[in-house]
Amino acid sequence: MRPFELKKRHSGLKEKVIRFLLVSAAVVSILTTFGVLFSILFEAIEFFQMRSFWYFITGTEWSPGVTDSKFGALPIFSGTFIITIIAMSVALPIGLGSAIFLSEYASPFMRDHLKPLLEILAGIPTVVYGFFAAITVAPAIVHFFGLFGIHASFNSALASGVVMGIMIIPVISSLSDDVIRAVPDSQRKASLALGMTTSETIKSIVIPSALPGIISATLLGLSKALGETMIVVMAAGLRPNLSWNALEDMTTVTVRIVDALVGDHEFNSPDTLSAFALGLILFVVTLVLNVISLSLIRKFKEKYKINTL
Amino acid sequence: MLLRKPAVKLIAASILAITMVTMAQARDQIKIVGSSTVYPFASSVAEEFGATTDNPTPVVESTGSGGGMKLFCKGNGLNTPDITNASRRMKTREYKLCDKNGVTDITEAVIGFDGIAIAQNKQNKPLSLTKKQLLLAVAEQVPSRDGKSLVKNPYRNWKEIDSSLPDREIIIYGPPTSSGTRDAFEDMIMKAQTKKMDVYTALYKKDKVKNRGYRKYHKVRQDGVYVPSGENDNLIVQKLEKNPKAIGIFGYSFLMENDDKIAAAKVEGVLPDPTTISSGQYPISRSLFFYIKNSHRKEVPAIDRYVEMFMQEDMIGPDGILSEIGLIPLPDERRSAIRASVLKHTKLTLDDLAKK
Amino acid sequence: MNTSKNNTAQADKGGKPSARNNPFCDPTLKSRHVRSKLFKLFTFLSITFAISFLLFFLGDMIIKGLPAFKQTYIEVDVTYNDKTIKSTRRAIDKKYRKVVSRAWLRNIPRLVEQNPALMGTTQPAWVLANSQVDQYLKGHHYKLKDKYRKLIDTMNQDGKVEMRFNKNFFTHGDSKIPENSGFKSAIVGSVLTLIVTMVVAFPLGVMTAVYLEEFADDNRWTQLIEVNINNLAAIPSILFGLLGLAVFINLFGMPRSSPLVGGLTLALMTLPIIIVSSRAALRSVPDSIRQAGYGLGLTRVQVVQDHVLPLAFPGIMTGSIIGLAQAMGETAPLIIIGMIAFIPDTPGSIFEAATVMPAQIFTWAGMPERAYIERTAAGIMVLISILITLNALAIYLRKKFEVKW
Repeated sequence: MRPFELKKRHSGLKEKVIRFLLVSAAVVSILTTFGVLFSILFEAIEFFQMRSFWYFITGTEWSPGVTDSKFGALPIFSGTFIITIIAMSVALPIGLGSAIFLSEYASPFMRDHLKPLLEILAGIPTVVYGFFAAITVAPAIVHFFGLFGIHASFNSALASGVVMGIMIIPVISSLSDDVIRAVPDSQRKASLALGMTTSETIKSIVIPSALPGIISATLLGLSKALGETMIVVMAAGLRPNLSWNALEDMTTVTVRIVDALVGDHEFNSPDTLSAFALGLILFVVTLVLNVISLSLIRKFKEKYKINTL
Repeated sequence: MLLRKPAVKLIAASILAITMVTMAQARDQIKIVGSSTVYPFASSVAEEFGATTDNPTPVVESTGSGGGMKLFCKGNGLNTPDITNASRRMKTREYKLCDKNGVTDITEAVIGFDGIAIAQNKQNKPLSLTKKQLLLAVAEQVPSRDGKSLVKNPYRNWKEIDSSLPDREIIIYGPPTSSGTRDAFEDMIMKAQTKKMDVYTALYKKDKVKNRGYRKYHKVRQDGVYVPSGENDNLIVQKLEKNPKAIGIFGYSFLMENDDKIAAAKVEGVLPDPTTISSGQYPISRSLFFYIKNSHRKEVPAIDRYVEMFMQEDMIGPDGILSEIGLIPLPDERRSAIRASVLKHTKLTLDDLAKK
Repeated sequence: MNTSKNNTAQADKGGKPSARNNPFCDPTLKSRHVRSKLFKLFTFLSITFAISFLLFFLGDMIIKGLPAFKQTYIEVDVTYNDKTIKSTRRAIDKKYRKVVSRAWLRNIPRLVEQNPALMGTTQPAWVLANSQVDQYLKGHHYKLKDKYRKLIDTMNQDGKVEMRFNKNFFTHGDSKIPENSGFKSAIVGSVLTLIVTMVVAFPLGVMTAVYLEEFADDNRWTQLIEVNINNLAAIPSILFGLLGLAVFINLFGMPRSSPLVGGLTLALMTLPIIIVSSRAALRSVPDSIRQAGYGLGLTRVQVVQDHVLPLAFPGIMTGSIIGLAQAMGETAPLIIIGMIAFIPDTPGSIFEAATVMPAQIFTWAGMPERAYIERTAAGIMVLISILITLNALAIYLRKKFEVKW
């Protein structure tokens, strides 16, 4: 009799149900984050009840599996750090250079064809990079340095670092390309009109304007490098090694996590639980990096009133 | 459009519900976990089992001996593994955990030996080492020249350890701490000697809590002379090939696989080969095991057939498939005794584990 | 900026006589242009490096992997009788035993079953050769005694050796016998796992995006979700493995190594990618569409469901395909939940144990037998071709349905 009202009431209920479903979908992502945190936290706490947190952070000896095992993770952090530094020193100049070329120099035609190629680089699975690092790059490095009489390890930090750097190039180039292109053209034109060359314009106008975004991209790349697992599992070493020599074998946080969880250790021993302690550190560090990165990109967006990034 | 989404979700939820139900019923696929050393043998048998019978191929996962025990001892649910492989005997603590979780009926099977080979590039002159020399090469702390105190391992050249050894830099590629091969190496080469050497045990006697590590000292040096490397590594042959100075420590099966490039060194004057290892002449070898959860035999009937196949002469015998890939068979008598005991489903007891 | 300061300073000092009087002349101009060119060259070289690495890498994999698509077969006499069915090794002459694959021999009982006429006869047959023979003929590293090498050489001259297309690679699962191993169960495992991933991640991701873009008010709660999604994207993948182990396997009791657990774990990882791209797609739908809808008296749900979502759909699909491709290449979390195992059988459902393509690649890469290297590379070729196809599809969709408002 009163069709309009009836329909309205019905759709009101439907609206509520749908709204509820949507909210619960959004909650899943929050649950996931906490799920990850809690699945690490309890075991990590159990570990720190057995072993001193302070020694874990600052100790220089990592020797699981022996009677008086020691868990000083500094050599592991240093290995992670060195491999990450190598990766970033490959990825940052090349990634940024590629981004500048794509956004400032390339013709639309080139851009359209080069960008998908870079995306392929981003799409190569890390296990494949790992195989490449172990089978092709590592022996090549040993051979190359052997020519100069320098001994390099087959599990050198250099091999996994370089390959990891290549993996991160697209991460940095794609985000940097977006921010550089978001810098208003008026700024470039003003600079060029004042007689600056293109490179001067890029270096002193465009890059500084896009800097927050570029730093954000770098931090993102950094957290990717820290958390990368397969490349280092396949190509880096297992020895906790506190050294600056990138030709030596080193181990990383992620390698130790995998090694401890699939190894022959007795369960519930600190040897196995140390994986969770390392996982917790990894979680916290990548989280902090990401939060900084996000706040930088937000500032950049506010500055240029962009909402497409 | 949007309406369909909840429907999809519902389907997903019902699939989930179905899982829980199906999980409770019998399955025909055997689940095996455990040691990475036994893994290649177990998976070969599993493959043969899948290829020559109507049963599906068992799933073999390499979780490490400890990880395997943890999964195995979790309970009797069908979600838990039926068999766990181990490169060492079950520890009493593990047995007690099993017991606590209701896994009380376990059968132990010994399948053979795995020798630990000390190998080097074939170009080198044959090498002969003693256990003591190996200890001095790998230990973090070694007795000082006068033998009265412990010092940080100073040896960088084999010649420094013993003048009869070649003038060669010491570089050792060996298993990482997580590996069962490493445990065995530490047990048989390091602990076996240091527990008898006063210079180590004196420290333990001085302070039994603080110096408990010196009762059976087995700390491996970390100054780059000993390089932990995975055993199943394609690169290890290349490593020894490119670096003739280096020696490698790995399972005998791996040596077999690459005997065209690398040669074993004598230990205590004995070269590792199937005869010397199974007779115990070669000093570094260990037994390999698997443990069967008998409570699953009814629901997973394939277990019996798999175990039977594993224990056959065709597999673990001297001409068996497993010996081709490096398993050292048990001596004939022991082999048939163990076969009989396994096929009778003899229950493992705590006393069995206590006595050696 | 500081260059301009330098310019004036240098111009004051004066350069060439002709330039001295011209206040606009910049003596450093030439070098500035050179530097500008150099900079351009640098950026060009960067991208050239990235692209040439890609080409080198693909070439390397193809060179390593192509041989795996050929497999050696040899012709020998096979005897079928009661004895040889029991002990299949005896079916062929002793001389050939070391060059024939065990995987082929153990199939003899099945062959006889299919064709009972074979029983009691001895017939020449093309059989799969041992991997060492195969590696020898391919010119790779091999371990074959001289005796057998000569045997193969003479057989080769007699035309009794043949390289055939390696069908087994696509019809078999993993095997401990290199010449018998294949990629099929990994491919099927990947498909099953990704079905689970998409069934879970796609609706959840799109719904979250719709909620955030179309329904949520801008308050702390929404911001929390947003920050959280961005953080989720940055969590190292290995930690998702720990989540999968703790929640899906230990808490919910789902079967270890199954595509179900793997798929759910990967779904959580893919979620942020889908959410972010779906949001971008929704945002690109102009407000005028929504306002027109409200103007006609539609409710919010109706506007979103009937107008905004269909328009954003191509963008959502593109993002989802990219997310799918990422999930397909992921390995690290699967190590933790047991999908790196010896699983030769092709899984029939999402509850059975399965392995996936990258996991199979990882397993093969660690095998001591050299014959697995070419199989690893061949597996990589298959995986990468699928990934490139998916990415191309995403780009195609983007191009085809991209609407400029």
